[in-house]
Amino acid sequence: MELEHSFTVPVSKERAWDVLLDVERVAPCMPGATLDSVDGDAITGKIKVKVGPISMTYAGTAKFVERDKNAGVVTLEASGKETRGSGTASASVRSVLEDRGTETHVTVHTTLNVTGKPAQFGRGVMNEVSGKLIGIFATNLADMITNSEGGG
Amino acid sequence: MTATAETPATAELGRARRRKEDNRLITGQTMWTDNITLPGMLHMAFLRSPHAHAKITSVDVSAARTQPGVIAAFCGADLADEQGSLPCAWPVTEDIVIPAHPPMATDEVRYVGEAVAAVVARDKYAAADALASIDVTYEPLPAVLDMRDALKAGSPKVHEAGNKSYEWVFANGDMDAALHDAPIVIERDYRQQRLIPCAMEPRSVVSAWVGDEVTLWSATQIPHVLRFAIAAFFGIPEQNIRVIAPDVGGGFGSKLQVTAEEVLAVLISRRVGRPVKWTESRSEGNMTVHHGRDQWQRIKIAADSDGRIRGLEVDLLADMGAYLMLVTPGVPLLGAFMFPAIYKMDAYSFKCTGVFTTKMPTDAYRGAGRPEATFAIERIMDELAAHLGVDPLEIRERNWIKHEEFPYTSICGLTYDSGNYEAATARAKELLGYENLRAEQEERFARAESVRLGIGVSTYTEMCGLAPSRVLGSLSYGAGGWEHASIRMLPTGKVEVVTGSSAHGQGHETAWSQIVADQLGVPFEDIRVLHGDTAISHKGMDTYGSRSLAVGGMAVVGACDKVIEKGKAVAAHMMEASADDLEFTGGRFQVRGDPEQGRSIQEVALATFAAHDLPAGMEPSLDSDATYDPENFSFPHGTHLCAVEVDTETGMVKIRSYVAVDDIGKVVNPLIVDGQVHGGIAQGIGQALYEEAVYDEAGNLLTTTLADYLIPSAADLPSYVTDRTESPADNRLGVKGVGEAGTIASTPAVVNAIIDALRPLGINDIEMPCTPERVWRAIEAARANGGAA
Repeated sequence: MELEHSFTVPVSKERAWDVLLDVERVAPCMPGATLDSVDGDAITGKIKVKVGPISMTYAGTAKFVERDKNAGVVTLEASGKETRGSGTASASVRSVLEDRGTETHVTVHTTLNVTGKPAQFGRGVMNEVSGKLIGIFATNLADMITNSEGGG
Repeated sequence: MTATAETPATAELGRARRRKEDNRLITGQTMWTDNITLPGMLHMAFLRSPHAHAKITSVDVSAARTQPGVIAAFCGADLADEQGSLPCAWPVTEDIVIPAHPPMATDEVRYVGEAVAAVVARDKYAAADALASIDVTYEPLPAVLDMRDALKAGSPKVHEAGNKSYEWVFANGDMDAALHDAPIVIERDYRQQRLIPCAMEPRSVVSAWVGDEVTLWSATQIPHVLRFAIAAFFGIPEQNIRVIAPDVGGGFGSKLQVTAEEVLAVLISRRVGRPVKWTESRSEGNMTVHHGRDQWQRIKIAADSDGRIRGLEVDLLADMGAYLMLVTPGVPLLGAFMFPAIYKMDAYSFKCTGVFTTKMPTDAYRGAGRPEATFAIERIMDELAAHLGVDPLEIRERNWIKHEEFPYTSICGLTYDSGNYEAATARAKELLGYENLRAEQEERFARAESVRLGIGVSTYTEMCGLAPSRVLGSLSYGAGGWEHASIRMLPTGKVEVVTGSSAHGQGHETAWSQIVADQLGVPFEDIRVLHGDTAISHKGMDTYGSRSLAVGGMAVVGACDKVIEKGKAVAAHMMEASADDLEFTGGRFQVRGDPEQGRSIQEVALATFAAHDLPAGMEPSLDSDATYDPENFSFPHGTHLCAVEVDTETGMVKIRSYVAVDDIGKVVNPLIVDGQVHGGIAQGIGQALYEEAVYDEAGNLLTTTLADYLIPSAADLPSYVTDRTESPADNRLGVKGVGEAGTIASTPAVVNAIIDALRPLGINDIEMPCTPERVWRAIEAARANGGAA
């Protein structure tokens, strides 16, 4: 399924670009995400997601497949497997950064394939859950950037 | 027809007895399969594919084997040498593609929910928990979900052999002549959405081996067919297999199956050397109980300018799902003969293409083929009426077989033995207040009310009493259609009736008791009906296709005849009379013209048991066996009328009144008939308004719970008005069958009513289920297209 989200961070596009590609800084902003290793472009980690009454932990890998600083486009592909259960999830996440002076607007287009139990909840719930996650992620990211900028 | 008169004067036939089995069924005081607990019994859980289509590159069950409480774990490869392939008993054409269907997938999965591994543990929670430690690696393949796309060149393949399973054709009459210069030709595409049978009792299996003998308890409709299938396809000698269907809580066709879980329970319990139980959850069931319907119907009708039908052309696409199960490919064929319904025509042609997709296989679901056919013909008859501007009942009357024309051979070659469409329709119109409602409808149209009234018509017939064995043979079905019964006269004069029709809620115990009470003249209370255990009922073809009464009931009558024949010889000997001078009436053998001289059947039973003084050479038994193979199908029919109110602002449909007048021949028990009609109508309304199995674009089933898959409840349904007309059926009981009639009739009645309400807006179809959203969208689209307000 295709999902579309957007958020704004209070820094310039150039600054936002650097932060967004710094996996070790960005990952903790994602609720439920833990990073196991980062080796060049290859990232391994886990993410715990709660959908309604059930929660799943996916373990998997991710890598950047597109990085176009001039256009402000970055694409991350990730795939994982439930650590308990037979479901899988894979996502292609394409972020487009748009310069808005002191702010940067980020549009995130996600192609998500989920199998197993959560898939049965359907698009409505998935949209809502992923929307919430992205929302929290953006807030955390903005806080993190603001704090680190403030701290100099 | 002549034989009906021979039925003895009746005390029980037609009596509204409360069902003798209901007390234990509705209070749960019975042995449902899931209630069975055997010493040392283990519990099984299945790991199911999360992918609609994928190669299995590895399955590792070793970690599961070390989990607490786990006794064993198996993947498909572990069972490969014994699991064979689940049977398809209906290879409808010579070149049909029947893919291998291992009960547990070995190298490829083709629908979400297909079993890929099993865990056996001390309790069901340990089994379910251990599934999480099984490691399966899949290589996803493209899902194939829409059967129309599946047939296109370049579509991903479900099976190596492609996505087409078969093409089956039937034609009679000169279609070219019928179409040539026809003043009216109407063509429509109708969608039969995929449905999920929701029997109240989920599927459940217990398998136990002792030595080389296995007993399989299963919530199945077909213990006899299941026993045969396990013997024939899985290499276990038939005499070593006992199948028991204890009380079973509904099936509607979904338990007319030889399932992967049944076969795996048998094989795995043999491996572990202990009894094994599996009971599905509702979500597991929604995914993996075979689904029903799922067709695209292209139907074309050619008619004269007065509305007389010249010809009918039907082109079906039928979604088989991923594999062919027990009768998957045959279901549309049961409908093939029913599209012409009650109408006369010069030509008919039918084509069905069976298509594979990466979804749960489809198979029989209440009505099996006939609701689909009835929907399409009854919908297009309304289109024909609308085209001509005549009342829908008028167009039907111009085309239906007149009651004086029976027996009538339909364009499909079926001989309809009897029917009176005029009588049923007249009665239904009267009960609904048809003319008044039409007048109200016109007034409300004139006032342009936002809530519109619609009246729907369905004048259905069906073929049931499945089935004459020679006909099944001509359709390449893998078995016959007879039924078996036996009578055991107990020494105390009580009676045991053994029937091969395995009941799962239909009330056989009551109806069969009523039949035997009349035939043998014994009290209803003195009769016990036994069924569903192959060690007790050794022969049978089981229960489906509205066959139990018309076929199984007749076997019971045949067995009673033989008891009377034997009893007559004994009574004659006791009375020192000639058997030829005796008549049997009211439970007594008596000398014709001298009713004082006689012996009751109970006295004769006791004398036969003692066997001290029997006629020379006679064996000391009144017991009997009879097997009945019908000469023909039976053809119940009726007229259902439905009035709906459609809110054009919200799309909400409310059924205002519903009248069902059915002609099912003689009625054994009117309470049971009403129950079947009420339940059937509800199920048909479910298809019209509520139910649909929905898969997402990746092939995940989204309707896995009863919150997502809506079945109607009493609160959603109107109070039905039911009545009956009666034309005789060509068997001694005069019965036709009623198990599916309501489901067959009601779906088109409801949708026709909705379209009738909205036709002035320019709407002539809404895809089922007609949810408020779909109805509202249709109204909005029609308004945007400038349809009349």
